[in-house]
Amino acid sequence: MEVGQMQRSLVDYTKSLFLEGVLDGQFLQLQQLQDETNPNFVAEVISLFFEDSQRLLNDLTRALDQPNVDFKIVDAHVHQLKGSSSSIGAQRVKNSCIPFRNFCEAQNIEGCVRCLQQVKQEYFLAKNKLETLFRLEQQIVAAGGSIPTMELSF
Amino acid sequence: MAALQRLGQSSLSTSASSYVSCKAGEMAVLDQFPAGLRVLVVDDDLTCLKILEQMLRRCLYNVTTCSQAAVALNLLRTKKGCFDVVLSDVHMPDMDGYKLLEQVGLEMDLPVIMMSADARVCAVMKGIRHGACDYLIKPIREEELKNIWQHVVRRKRNEIKELEHSGSLEDNDRHKRGSDDVEYASSVNEGTEGTLKTQRKRSNAKEDDVDLENDDPSMAKKPRVVWSVELHQQFVSAVNQLGIDKAIPKRILELMNVPGLTRENVASHLQKFRLYLKRLSGVAQQGGIVSAFCGPVDTNVKLSSIGRFDIQALAASGQIAPETLAALHAELLGRPTGNLVTAMEEPALLQASLQGPKCIPAEHGVAFGQPVVKCQPNISKHFPQSIMFVDDASPMFGAWPSNGLGTVAPGSNLVGLNPQNNNMLTDILHQQQQRQQQHQKPQQQSALSESSRSINVQPSCLVVPSRSSANFQAGNSPVDQNYSYNRSAVIDYSLLSSQSNNSSLNVGQISGGDLKTTGVLSGYSGPGSISPSASSCSVSAEHNTSQQVQNSTLTFRAARQVPGLVPNVADIQGSYRAKSGEVLDQGPLRNLGFVGKGTRIPSQLAVDEYELPMNNLNHGKIYLTFSQNRLALLGEL
Repeated sequence: MEVGQMQRSLVDYTKSLFLEGVLDGQFLQLQQLQDETNPNFVAEVISLFFEDSQRLLNDLTRALDQPNVDFKIVDAHVHQLKGSSSSIGAQRVKNSCIPFRNFCEAQNIEGCVRCLQQVKQEYFLAKNKLETLFRLEQQIVAAGGSIPTMELSF
Repeated sequence: MAALQRLGQSSLSTSASSYVSCKAGEMAVLDQFPAGLRVLVVDDDLTCLKILEQMLRRCLYNVTTCSQAAVALNLLRTKKGCFDVVLSDVHMPDMDGYKLLEQVGLEMDLPVIMMSADARVCAVMKGIRHGACDYLIKPIREEELKNIWQHVVRRKRNEIKELEHSGSLEDNDRHKRGSDDVEYASSVNEGTEGTLKTQRKRSNAKEDDVDLENDDPSMAKKPRVVWSVELHQQFVSAVNQLGIDKAIPKRILELMNVPGLTRENVASHLQKFRLYLKRLSGVAQQGGIVSAFCGPVDTNVKLSSIGRFDIQALAASGQIAPETLAALHAELLGRPTGNLVTAMEEPALLQASLQGPKCIPAEHGVAFGQPVVKCQPNISKHFPQSIMFVDDASPMFGAWPSNGLGTVAPGSNLVGLNPQNNNMLTDILHQQQQRQQQHQKPQQQSALSESSRSINVQPSCLVVPSRSSANFQAGNSPVDQNYSYNRSAVIDYSLLSSQSNNSSLNVGQISGGDLKTTGVLSGYSGPGSISPSASSCSVSAEHNTSQQVQNSTLTFRAARQVPGLVPNVADIQGSYRAKSGEVLDQGPLRNLGFVGKGTRIPSQLAVDEYELPMNNLNHGKIYLTFSQNRLALLGEL
C-alpha cells in the first residue's frame, strides 16, 4: 500500500471511530498536543491509559467480588476510570461509568456488577480500535509518510 | 524585597513580568506573562497528569507534576515561593483533594484550582467552601488552562488591597513617599543624575511643591502647601531681600512669584520662620552654655526636656542677631555648594546616598562633649521638623538653623553665620566624625567625613548643640556613643527596621546596631537614587545610621523647631506604621505625643504636643526613612 492510500485509510478509520462514539473531541485535543517536542505524545498517553485502566478494572472486579463490598472504594475507582477515559476521549468508556456510579451510590451490587461488565466491554473495544489506529499510523510513518491531521467536521 | 514598596500597581506588574522559572531553560519565556507561570499539578491518575502536563507546557507554563498529595505538599513546603498556582484533583487515594487544598491555603496561601470528573453541584460547592479558586471539570481543555493565571493575579491584587486597607495608607503612602522622595531629591539635587532623571518629570510637575496633597484617602485631606527646600529657599531669599524686619507676606509673595502660593501660606510660613530665627538667636547666645551640655550623654535621656533646655538656653544667649540668623539660614539654604548650605546638605545627603553622614556637624560636637551634645534631643526633633519642612508647611526650619548654629560653635558665638564659623563647624563635625569613625562602618566613614564637611552647617544639624544633631552628622554611630538617647534610638530603630523590613521603607535594613544615628534618612541619601522610598531606604540601610542621619538632617533643616519635629515624628510614626503595617513599638513614640497638625507653631519644644498629621506621610519620601529614624529617636523620648 502506498503512503497516500494508507493515509486515507487512517483518516477514514479515525472518522469512523468518532462516528461510533468510541472517540470524542478530547482525542483531537490530544492529537493537537502532539508536536515536535513531544512527537509520541498521543501514543504515550494512550499507553498510560491502557495501563491505568487495566489496573482499575482489576481492582473493581476484586472489590465487587468481596463479600462485603465497599462501595466507597468501588466508587473511587469508577470515578477515576471516568476521569482518565474522558481525558483521552474514550467517550463510550466514560459514558458507561455514569450508571456505574449511580449504582454505587445506590449500593446495588448487581447493578454494579452489570455495569462493570459494560465498562469492560467498552474499554476493550476502545483499546482495540486505538491499537489499530496506531498500527496504521506506524505503517504510514514507516513508509515515509506523515500522519494526516484530523479535522472533525460532523 | 525591594521595598516594598511599591506594591500595588508595581507589584502586579512585577509579578506579571518576572516569574522566575525554576528551570533555567525556560527563562526565555518569562518575559511574557503569563508565560512561565509556575504550576504544580497533583493527580493520582497518571493519564490525566500527563495530559495536563502537556497542555500546561503548551500554555508556556512551568509545570511540575506530582501523583501523590503528600509529595506535593512536601514539595510546596520545601520550595516555598517556587510555585504560583496549584492544580489538584479532588479524588486521590492518599489524601483528599480538599484537605490538600486547605493545607495549601493555610501554609502557603497559593491559589488552588480543583479538578474533577465529578460535575455535581454539591461537589463544586464543596470546593468553593474549602477555598478553591476554581473548579475544573474533567476532561479539561487546554483553553481552560490557559486562563488559570488570572487566579494568581487576582490573589496578588487582593493581597495588595488588603495591605492597603490594613496598613491604612500603605501603598498610598508608599507611592507617595516614593514619589515624594524622588521629587524632593530631584528638586534638591540638581546634580543627581541617573535615577533622578526619570523622576524628573514627576518632580518637575511638582516644582515648588506647592501642592495640594490629596494623598491618603484615609487621612483627612486638606490642601496644604508643601514647603520644599527650593520653595523655602525662595522664601528666605525674598525675606532677606526685603529685610527680615520689613518682610511682609505680601511683598514676600510678590518676590517669590510662585504660582499657587497664597499670601496666607506665606504669612504662616513667615511666622514660623520668625520664630525659628528667634530660636536661633537664642541658641547663639547660649553658645557658652554649650560646654555645660557636655555633660554625659546619659543625661539626655529625656531628649525632649533636654532639647528644650538647649534651645531655650541658646535662645537666651541671644548672641545671634535675627538678621544674621536669617542670613545664615538663607545662606544655608541657598548654597548648594556652600558648606553650610542646607540645600547643599540635601543634595549631598541625597547624593551621598549612604555616604558620610550629612549629619549635622553638631553631632560631632556632641561627641566632643560640646554643646552639640545636647543636640540630640533636638535632632530628633529636627528630623520631624525637617520632614515637615519638606512635606508640610509647618514651621520646619525653625529648629534647624538655630540648632546648627548653636551646636556648631562650641562655646563660640554662634554667629558663625559667617563662613568661618561654618568652617569651624565643619571641622568640628569632621573631628567628630573621625572620632566616631571607629563606630561607624567603614564604608560610611569616608563618605561621612566628606559629607560632613560639606554639610556642616546644615541648619538642622546645627540645631542646638543637642547631641542628636551631632550624632547625626557623625553619621555612623555617633549617636549611640554619646547619648543614651541615641542608643535607645538605635534600639528603637532596629525595632523599626525589623518591622519595616517589609515595608517599602526598608529602613529596617540597617542593622540594629547601626541605627543609632536614627537619622536614617537613608532613603534620603541614596546617592542619586531618589528612587522610591523603598529603594532609598535600602540604600541607607547599608550605610548605617549615620547616613540616615544625614537624611534626617537634611529634612531636618526644614524643620524649624522641635515642635516642628514633633509633627514629623508623628508622621513618621504614622508612616512607619503604615508602612510596616505593624505598630512599631509605639510606646516610646507615643510619648512624643505628637498629635495634631504639623502646622502648629513650635512654641515649645515639648514633644508631646504635636502629632504629625498623617498627611505628612504622603509628603514624603523622606518620611520613610525619617520615620524610621524618628521612631527610633522618639523611642527615647
